Amino acid sequence: MNELDQAGLARLRDGWISGGTAFELAPAEWKEVATASSPDEQERRLLAIAAQALDVALRPVAPKTLKRRPPLPVLALPTLPERLRPLLRAALKYAADARLKTRVAALVASRGFVLHPMDWMPAASSQESPEVYAPWVDWQAGADGDKQSRREHLTAESWDDFYPAARRTALVELRRTTPALARTLIETKGASEPAEVRLALIELLRFGLGAEDVPFLKSLSADRSGKVREMAGRLLARLGEHGNPAGGGSEDPIAELAAFIEEGKSGFIRRRTTYAPIKLKSPAQQARRADLFASCYFGDLTAHFGKTEPDFIGAWQFGVDDNADRFLVLMVSVSGSDAAVARLADILVAEGGKHTLLVLQLMLRLDIGWKRVVITQILKDAQNLHALNLVEGAEAGWLEWGDLTNGKTLSALRSAVSGDNDVTKRSAEQYLEAIGFLATAATAEKLIGDVVAAGLSPASPSLALLRLNAALAENQSNK
Amino acid sequence: MQLDLKTIEALAPDQASLGAAAKLTKRSNWPRLESHAQLPLIWGECQGSGSNPYRVAFDTSDHGYKCTCPSRKFPCKHILALAWIGATAEASFTRVDQTPDWVNDWLGRRRKPGQPPAQAPARAEGKSIDEASRPEEIAPVEDAAAVERREAAQRKRAEDTRSAVSAALDELDQWIADQLRLGLAGFVDACSERCRRIAARLVDLKATALAGRIDELPARLMALRGEERPDAAIRELGKLVLLAKAWRAAPDDAELKRLVSTSETRDQILANPDAVQVESDWEVLGEKIETRREGLVSHATWLLDLKSPTPRFALLLDFFPASAGRRSGAWPAFVPEADGDPLAAYAAFQDGAPWLSDCPIILPAGAIALDDKDGAWWQAVSDPHGIALPVAGSVDQTLLGLDLTATAALWNGARLELLASQSNMGRLDLS
Repeated sequence: MNELDQAGLARLRDGWISGGTAFELAPAEWKEVATASSPDEQERRLLAIAAQALDVALRPVAPKTLKRRPPLPVLALPTLPERLRPLLRAALKYAADARLKTRVAALVASRGFVLHPMDWMPAASSQESPEVYAPWVDWQAGADGDKQSRREHLTAESWDDFYPAARRTALVELRRTTPALARTLIETKGASEPAEVRLALIELLRFGLGAEDVPFLKSLSADRSGKVREMAGRLLARLGEHGNPAGGGSEDPIAELAAFIEEGKSGFIRRRTTYAPIKLKSPAQQARRADLFASCYFGDLTAHFGKTEPDFIGAWQFGVDDNADRFLVLMVSVSGSDAAVARLADILVAEGGKHTLLVLQLMLRLDIGWKRVVITQILKDAQNLHALNLVEGAEAGWLEWGDLTNGKTLSALRSAVSGDNDVTKRSAEQYLEAIGFLATAATAEKLIGDVVAAGLSPASPSLALLRLNAALAENQSNK
Repeated sequence: MQLDLKTIEALAPDQASLGAAAKLTKRSNWPRLESHAQLPLIWGECQGSGSNPYRVAFDTSDHGYKCTCPSRKFPCKHILALAWIGATAEASFTRVDQTPDWVNDWLGRRRKPGQPPAQAPARAEGKSIDEASRPEEIAPVEDAAAVERREAAQRKRAEDTRSAVSAALDELDQWIADQLRLGLAGFVDACSERCRRIAARLVDLKATALAGRIDELPARLMALRGEERPDAAIRELGKLVLLAKAWRAAPDDAELKRLVSTSETRDQILANPDAVQVESDWEVLGEKIETRREGLVSHATWLLDLKSPTPRFALLLDFFPASAGRRSGAWPAFVPEADGDPLAAYAAFQDGAPWLSDCPIILPAGAIALDDKDGAWWQAVSDPHGIALPVAGSVDQTLLGLDLTATAALWNGARLELLASQSNMGRLDLS
């Protein structure tokens, strides 16, 4: 369309917008074509020409501000094969929330694949997604992509080349291999970061925490941020460094907390010390006790009673006051030593039943082996199967068939899926999803057959993750 | 398969159902017949009167069933026919390992199992497979006079419809001239009411398809930014003028009839030797499901001819819950130029049918970019500063980081509706 036509079209448009006859405003050539006996027909013919001109001769103008996102980074693992994507989508669809969807991604990553980005993407704030997704987390957070290609190893020089998620992954890896190097990096580079970032960096010291970290952690007692000082104090407490030396004065919170605990004796022949929570008289007392458990360090409390941390745990009377038990477990989780955590987990798992659930509070402190023990115990009891979904950071794909047949879980699942109680059935379907994440491929395959034989529909969506799990093994053997 | 004819006889609600089922047992009625390799399940697709076949599934162990047809008989003739084929011609079923999604959906919703399967009762209560299998008695032959009368009535009906539609187009022409006289600014502001009135008039005068198009016009305008609406109104009204003129020039043209009044039935299309028939392998590019007026749902499926050397599309258009679907003609061929004008195919399309809006196009390598209002644009890789087309609606943010090597989309002159893309991450379904 030439400029004259464009100008004519603009005049016509203005004429029609305000209304009335526009024929005289049209370009001469158009008028020639549109001439007709009635004025209405002339207008209609012009309208048809204008419509075609707008449709074919004019193009939308691209705004100058058009911006492209950097290319989505390529991840270190191959994308899930196309033929498995329908199974994956079914599993993602059944997963009720972001955490459960992340778990599906974790299972797939454990078998050596990443998901297609149109099927699932980690959130920009995600810290739970498998490490392999760190470049996507940073991309979601707005990373420009150039830095991704430049980075190799995290050093003081390459620090700025890493976006937060990738840096976090690299630091965790460094803490596992050369903790001192990671600490030095956090010490030198973290100082100039804002408090929120500094807190996240110092929190990473929990990986491979050791006595060598003490001087740095002590230096943080002068940090500007209260949260950073608190975090450093907890980490020091885990290393046996007492944060609140017991002064014995009336303002001493440790003494106040100790007053809520009663020392006793038990046994007839070999008398041994026991510790139990005293019976509280008012909600105010309950609230105060909760505050003290949350703010004091476990090491300081046991020192007050002149006991080692493991010994104090051994002497604690579980079951007297459920709230007190929970507060103590949380306290140990936050500031107890590794030995105390191990002793506590040992006792709670041995007690079984509802005490096993208390171990869930310790999950961040327990290693993979312990997590397996806890899960195996939950399956053996089959009393609290809902807790399977609460095990933080559990490993994917290790649960053997024997772990299921060893306890009451399998029979509980069978009777739930074959019964008429919809509530029980729905719960069982959720447990199947949880087991779908934990099971080996062979276990997954076997479990599908078992529950289907018991009466669950073969197409039940709750089997989606188990089916994906089983199919992923086939894929590995085909590779 | 644990099926016998006695069981089917017992399941049938009446003898008429068995008779109807017998007619459906021909293999040609079933474009798809499958059985599960491990599970006691058979399913198939039975070609009914709609353009979409009915989906039929049957559990051979407990005789549970599901069919998508609207019949009020349970089980319907499709179920009985499927079971009948299962009992007598097992080899007709392709054995597969996986159930399709629609069978899965059904299985997931079933109350399973517990209840025993319907057993073949001692007596079949007056229903008999043998009777149903007997060939139908031949209908009495219509006499010549009756045929003549019927054909005359048909011609009269067609003539009446044509006169009514012609009158409808006259009214439409006048209405368009009125809108121009009153001003498009006012039309854009009050288009819902004005369009509704003329659409109702067009329905009265049997221009039903045209009425539907005008009904949707307000929504098309409102989907655009305010400053774009007058131009869009000019385009839409101008196309209506062209369509009216085209129909007057060739009122018997099937495509124009489809756009103005009503579609021919599926049987009429198949019987018409002039209808375009393309046998090929078709790739589903995408689907567009929209709720139309009076709760009618339109389901458009865009297909790409895989055997054609240049991009060639077809649109499969179904309406639900009305069972009669309609199918458009094959679209003219498109020639995308790798580094040229991505809208060249659209211009060619408009030359052939300037009254149509949505044109399927294959775009060359490009990417999705955002403007400062977070509006998405498709932009060609080879010319990042010149060619860009605004994308309808919002896009998945992940798409912004992918290189799109080719994109199938619908362009309506103002917005691009993405159907599917090939990318560095494989094929992406975007509809």
